[in-house]
Parts: sequence; C-alpha cells; structure tokens
Amino acid sequence: MPEMTDEQRKALEEKIKNMSPEELKEFQKQQCIFCQIITGKIPSKKVYSDDKCIAVMDINPASKGHLLIMPKEHYAIMPQMPDKEIGHLFLVSKYLSQILLKSLKVSGTNVFVANGGVAGQRAQHFMLHLIPRKEGDKVLDVEDKLIDVQLRTKVKELVEPKLLALLGVKKEKQTTLPQPKVELPEEEIEVGEEHQEEKVIEVSEEVEEPPKKKTKAVKEKKSAPKAAKKAKEPSKREEVGLDDIADLFK
Amino acid sequence: MQTYLNEKMKCEYCEMLERQNNVDLLYEDPDIVIAIKDFSCIPGQISIFPKQHYTILEMVPDEVLQKCFVLANKVSMAIFESLGAQGTNILVQNGLGAGQKVPHFSIEVIPRREGDGLKLAWEPKQLSQDEMDTAYLMVKEEGDRLVDIGKKKKEEKKEEPKTESSKEEPKKVNSKNNYLLKSIKRLP
Repeated sequence: MPEMTDEQRKALEEKIKNMSPEELKEFQKQQCIFCQIITGKIPSKKVYSDDKCIAVMDINPASKGHLLIMPKEHYAIMPQMPDKEIGHLFLVSKYLSQILLKSLKVSGTNVFVANGGVAGQRAQHFMLHLIPRKEGDKVLDVEDKLIDVQLRTKVKELVEPKLLALLGVKKEKQTTLPQPKVELPEEEIEVGEEHQEEKVIEVSEEVEEPPKKKTKAVKEKKSAPKAAKKAKEPSKREEVGLDDIADLFK
Repeated sequence: MQTYLNEKMKCEYCEMLERQNNVDLLYEDPDIVIAIKDFSCIPGQISIFPKQHYTILEMVPDEVLQKCFVLANKVSMAIFESLGAQGTNILVQNGLGAGQKVPHFSIEVIPRREGDGLKLAWEPKQLSQDEMDTAYLMVKEEGDRLVDIGKKKKEEKKEEPKTESSKEEPKKVNSKNNYLLKSIKRLP
C-alpha cells in the first residue's frame, strides 16, 4: 500500500468517524486481507471450503502443513461469533487435523486461537490455526507448573459467577446445538444470578450510607454499635481490581 | 477394551471426575466439565474437557466437540471480564508431538497479559515453493474428499441407514486413531 500523506490520513480518519456501523463493517471488510482471500481477490492455497468457512495454507507457517481455518463472515475476535459458527469451525478443524496427521505423518496437531494482540493475534479477522507438530520442533512449547491451591481458589471465585451468568444467557438463547437438557446447571445459574442481585442491592445501600454514617458516628459516638456495624459492612465488599489480578500473574 | 480400561484408570482427568466435592470444578453437565487444573502454564488457565474418556480430538463425537468449543469461548469471555485479561489463547495439544501430557482430550483457555512471559508463539517460516506445494498437494487431495461437513451431518441425521459418505468416514477415523493411539501409548 502506498504511504499516505498526513492530509490523506486525516481525511480518512474523518471519513471513518462519520460512518454508520454498517458502512464501517463494509469498510473493515474491504481493508481485510483475509476477506479478500476468501473472495478470491488474493490467491491462496485452499484446502477446504464450505458455505461458512474456508481453510488455506499459511504462507508463513510454523511448520509444514500449517492451516488457517477462518469464517467467511468478517469477525475480528471470537466472542463476536455466534455459537453455531464456532461449533462448525472447530468441527472442520477436527476433520482437517485428521487429514494432517494422516497425510503428513506428524505425531500431533495444535489447535490454536489468539484473541487480542497480546495473545499473538496479528490479523483483524478471526482465525483458527491448525499446526502439525513433531516432537522437539519447538513450536508452541508450553511448560506447565504446579499452581498453588489458594491461587486456584481465587481464580475460581473470580471467574465462576461471570461464567455461570454467561452460560445462563447462552442457555436461554440456545437453539442451534442439540444439547441434552440439564437441570443442575440451571439451578446453579439461578444461584449465580441471585448473588448478583444481592450485590446490586448492597452497592446501592453503600451509596446511601456514607452521609448518614458521618452524622450518626458523631452523635452516637459512645453508644453506637449499630453505626460501627454499618461502617464495617461496606468494607466487606471490595471490588476486585486489576491490580489484584496482576498479582495473580507474578 | 482392556487397553481402554487401563488407560482410563491411569487418566488424571478421569480420576479428577471421580473425586467427591471437587473444588476445582467450575461447571459440569452430563457431557462436559470446566475445571481448574493444578498443573497449568499460568494461574487463571481453565480447561474444558468431555467427561467421557477420549484420548484425542479425532475421537470426540462431533456434537460433544462443538459444545466443548462453544463453552471454551464462554470461558474466554468470562476470563476477559473477570480476570482483566488483555487477551486469551485457546489451545488444544492433540497428540504426544503437540505437547499433550494427559491422554484425555482437553481444551485450554489461557489468560494473557502484556509481559506475562508466556511463549505461546512460533517463528514464522519461509518454506521453499517446492515444500509448500508438496504439503499443499498432500493435504488438498484428502481435503477434496471431505464433503461439506455441515451438510453431511444433516444427511446422516435424516437417513438412519448409513450412506456412502458416512461409511467412508468411520474408516478414516479408525486408521487415524490406531496410528495416533500407538504414539500416545508411549506416554510414560
């Protein structure tokens, strides 16, 4: 692509600002190399294609036979994709993995997804990497270590409510995947939602409390067990901040 | 059958499922569990695996597999929001050569942050035109035999008696499984 002058860049930025979401989507699509590979404007080595997805050889592979499987629709990251398409894409990866193992005589495959730049995502088009592996090839070597039980418990405390809430939403909308109905998870989800409601209430109390506390604390300084109790309550509910999480990763 | 049982007895994940009141489970349904394993590459890593003992990706039935990955996406979303991750990786180590340590298929969802020190990447290679072409031809030949995967599934559902396309497929699975199973059994 030719270098843009500052003026051109400014004009482009202005243009993008004024676009409707539909126009923006179309614009992103035009700019996306992988969308052009999908439409055939850019040549590629295609190994599989159906109405939802396409699989091509990576031109800068991690190893011989490295495949990229991507949805034909333009999604920047995985969370934007509907469940049905996710299911289909990974199903295709199963069949293609089988083919790689058989035809390239490798001893394993990695299915790899990167969501976000820090995770190694390079393109603005969601894709799934399918990488043939041989022992000692030094691709994607992950070293596992023992994670302290306290850390695990903390992770669970943090993730579980959010996850169950997400699954709850999913279950209601779920129409695509044939799924045996379960009662247990739904109960759990209800519990999770109740917790959330409680939290909301607590928070609103907290907001109202502080002015009262001050006046009460001054007036009933000597005989104020109630006020003391109330003052303690808010401190119980600490928001989990990013710093806490950062500590987790040290 | 005997080997299957032996394998299952040794499998860490199957043992994990048999434990009562397991604190490391985040979610379970009749087919799948979401759990926090004691051995991970980083705190916050979460695993999704089928309850049934399947050694490798190729053995997992289509429907269970699809559900596993849909759940993996939900886990990834939950990690973004609750752990403040700046990115996530979803990784399947399928087979000994790919770093699989436990002979039970699982999907790992890994939270990522700037400077976390994880080397979940590879050195992009520039293969010669010849090498690219041979790899392409080998894979393409097999790929062409794949019918539209989504459509095939629908056909199988409609017609109970096995059609040609569905006959062809289990054969492939068998030969494949045997090959990979052999390598997997070399696991210590």
